[in-house]
Order: sequence, then C-alpha cells, then structure tokens
Amino acid sequence: MRTLEISNLHKEFVDAYTGQTVVAVGDVSFSIEQGEFVSVLGPSGCGKTTVLNIVAGFDTQTSGSVLVGGKQVDGPSPERGVVFQSFALFPWKTVLGNVTFGLRMRGVPRADREAVAHQYLELVGLQGFEAKYPHELSGGMQQRLGVARVLANEPEVMLMDEPFASVDAQTRRKLQEELTGIFETKRPTVFFVTHDVDEAVFLADRVVVLSSRPSQVAEIVTVPLERPRHWRSALDNPDFRHTVTYLTDLLAAGEPNADESEDAPETSAAAGAVGEG
Amino acid sequence: MTATPASRRGGHLPRRLSAAFWFAVPFVALAVIWAIAVELSGVERRIFPQVTDVASAFAEMWRSGDLFTHTGASLRRMGLGVIAALLTGIPFGVLLGSSRVAAAFFAPLLRFSVALAGIAWIPFATLWLGYGERAVVFIVWNAMFFALAYNTMLGVQRIPTQLIRAARSMGTPRHRMFVEVLLPGALPNIVTGLRVGLGYGWRGLVAAEIIAASAGLGYSIFLAQKYFRTDIIIAGMIIIGALWLVIDRALLAPLERRTVERWGMKAVNL
Repeated sequence: MRTLEISNLHKEFVDAYTGQTVVAVGDVSFSIEQGEFVSVLGPSGCGKTTVLNIVAGFDTQTSGSVLVGGKQVDGPSPERGVVFQSFALFPWKTVLGNVTFGLRMRGVPRADREAVAHQYLELVGLQGFEAKYPHELSGGMQQRLGVARVLANEPEVMLMDEPFASVDAQTRRKLQEELTGIFETKRPTVFFVTHDVDEAVFLADRVVVLSSRPSQVAEIVTVPLERPRHWRSALDNPDFRHTVTYLTDLLAAGEPNADESEDAPETSAAAGAVGEG
Repeated sequence: MTATPASRRGGHLPRRLSAAFWFAVPFVALAVIWAIAVELSGVERRIFPQVTDVASAFAEMWRSGDLFTHTGASLRRMGLGVIAALLTGIPFGVLLGSSRVAAAFFAPLLRFSVALAGIAWIPFATLWLGYGERAVVFIVWNAMFFALAYNTMLGVQRIPTQLIRAARSMGTPRHRMFVEVLLPGALPNIVTGLRVGLGYGWRGLVAAEIIAASAGLGYSIFLAQKYFRTDIIIAGMIIIGALWLVIDRALLAPLERRTVERWGMKAVNL
C-alpha cells in the first residue's frame, strides 16, 4: 500500500532580493510504500528540503500533488511527524514533556501518554532521562529524543530533514545504526532527506536521487542490502560499496560544474522565513 | 554547561551570608562617608540630615504607622499597575510578534513610546482620571506597558521557525500556540521586558504619587519637603530604593532561575 505519493511536484517562488522567479522544484514524482525507508539524496540546494517542507505542510507547492494515505496534504499534521536538523526540541519541556507533547495536544489522557512515552524513550535509549531538560543532553541524545517525540504520535510517515547533519561523525554513525534498529523493530514509513551518499544507502530500502535545481528525479535506486544492517558489515559488503559508487557518480554527473555552494539555502529567505504563528 | 543547583541557588548558608555581607559593604561605606561629610562640613541639618536623624525618622515613621500606610499604598498601586501591564502588554506583544506586518508597523511607535512611558503621561493621567488612585495606577501601567510589549514582540520573533513548525506538526491547534509555544519561547525576552518595565513602573509610581496622591512613598517625601523634614525625605528615598532591590531579588531573580536558566535559554543581552 502506498503511504506517500508525490506526483509532478513543482515549486516556484519569487526571490525577495532580485525579484526573479526561481524554480526550486522542477518536476518530482515518486512514492513510498507503507513500512518503507526511502532516502531522498541530492546536492545541496537542489530543493530536497523544499519537497520535505511541502510534504510536512509547512510550504505549499505551485502545482502537482502530495497524497498521504490517499488524502491530499493540507497543512501540518501529526500524521506527518518531522525530525529536524536543528532538533527543534522545546527547551522549556523536560524529556518526558517533549515526548508526550503531541499526545497531549490530541487530548490523550496523562496515564496513557506517559505509558506510550516510556515505551518510545526506552526504544531510543533515553529511559532514566525523563526529568532532564534538552540542554542537559548531548547532541546525539537530543536527536534520539527528536525521533522518539515523532514516533510517539505513530505517524503515517516520519519525515527526517538531514537529522544527523549537526552531530559529530562518530555520533552520526551510532545514530544511523540505532535508527536502522528502530526501523527494523517498529517499521515506520520514513522519508529521509540527506546529501550524504553513505548515509542514504546504509539506511534506505530505496534512494531517490534528485538532480540539481530545478530538481527532477534523476533515478530511483533500490538498495540490495539485507536487514538488520550494521556499519561494520556494510562497509565490507561489495553491494554497499557498488551502490555508493554508483550514486556518487550519478550525483557528480548531475552537478553542473563542481560549484561548491555548500550552504546554499534550500528554501529561499522569502519562502522559508514567513512567520507562521 | 550545567552548573550544580547548589552553586546556582547561592549554596550553603556561609556562602549566602558572605554574599549578603559583600552586598551590604558599599551601603555601609556610603553611610560612613555621609556621616563624616555632614559632621565636617557643618551643613545645616534642615538642608541635609545626619545619619542618626534619618534613623530616628525611621523609628518615628514606624511608631506612628506612617511607614506602613505609605508603603502599603505604594505597593498596592504598583501591584495593580503591574498586573494590568502583564495582562495587556504580553498578549499585545505576542500578537505583534506573530504578524510581520503588525510588527513592522508598531515597532517604531513602541520604541518611541518607551522613551515617553510613565512620567510624561502624568498630566494626561490627572486630566483624565483626576488626582488620585486611578491616575497613579494608570502611570504604573503606562510606564511598563511599552517596554513589556516591545520585548515580548522581540521574544516571539526570535522563536526559531522550526520550533513553531514542530509544534504545528504535532497537532497543536492555533489557539493553544500562545500558551504552549509563544509564551514560553518568548520568556527570556519577556523577563528582560519585565525587568526594564518594573524599573520604569517604580519610578513612575513615585513621580505620580508626588503629584497625584494623598498617601504613598512619593507623596510622603513630597510632603516632608514642605516642612523641611529632610530626614524623612532621605528615609523615604531609602525605602524606595530598598523596596526596588527586594522586588528585583525576591521576584525577578527566582523567576529567571526557575524558568529561562533552568531551561538553558538565558538570553545574552543587557
């Protein structure tokens, strides 16, 4: 069953400074099956975060459609939980308060939501930290909390926007391994945006490769790796290495001229910064 | 990153005593210099009193009950003005912070009004509300409102977009955003606004009482001047200053410690 279906997604915006119309997303179509892990891979600035923001309901497309569970996306909803690169935890809530937040918003009684919260905190290895505040946790722990906070709502699809980009390399490896473990036990549907080829392959069942702006789907690659997955065995696995090499070449071919505009904003200042409150 | 709770709260009794001691030292020094200066200069006591005169004025005010009447009147007006300012300034600031257009429109007006807040409104306050209680409370409210609204607006604007998105994507209805996200998210700046606003409010209170009241600390020092009771003037000034320290230390500091500091959100400002 298709959980997420993106058809001919197209997004334009007017650049606030130059006044020109910029095409952020050219024409993107792909779908994600229930219980599938799909990585969306593309060069920085290709518009992959814009696609995620549209799926999340934070942004609206110029044309095309996004269906989740057969329904048109209309604004943010707990059925599409988001794990952010910046973690976006509530500093004024404890670990427990963060995990139970979504359930509380939906009126789940305290005893029930705390039972659910404990289950997910255990899943991500944060049991015993319920009373801590986010700033008292390490970066890796904060993002594990970010994952638990979303999963506790049992979303139809979990959207992850380069969630491990702001932690150090060792922690990143560990978190990736933990995420595959969580995926293997809970089988959520995951839409994972990254520009890291190794990460995309290691985590995903399929990798959707986007070309640089205006983005189109260059190719969808199925990852030929068994689960459970571990970094040790993946790195020794020729299939893993082949897939990584193949995707790296694909990205290099798509790059116009190795122009390293690394931190190019993915959504424009105009589109991204409009207040929502 | 996380200081131990003991060190934050001032710790053990000896350390607290030593902190209190070092806080008191400059005031004691000031009193000593004052006593010596009055003694050496031979200034007329009616013009500037000796330390002992002020101490006996205190005792006199304590015995007659004036101390409590005036302090009570002032604190009551202050309390009413502060509550009114909190109930209006914070929601107004949140509203402005939530809308770019409103913020762009009102921000210059607010900055302009902060400079005029309080004292400059006394003529209007007395014209509209007469000489009395209501005019004084109005001045306290007015003195605080603009600083509180302006800082609250800044605080809301500084909430990271991702936090608001996270809340929305977890199903937070729009009408609950205020309590769940905007208010706590803006709290570091709200506390700043409160601190600035309380300072304005307190000064506004004293000034308004001089002009528009028949009781209160401001009124008492004004009245004392008519009778050349400089000892009472100084005693009143000391009470006004000391109460401000109490407001700051007993109300604001614990509020900050329990919220923004505990949450690791302390704003780097001022």
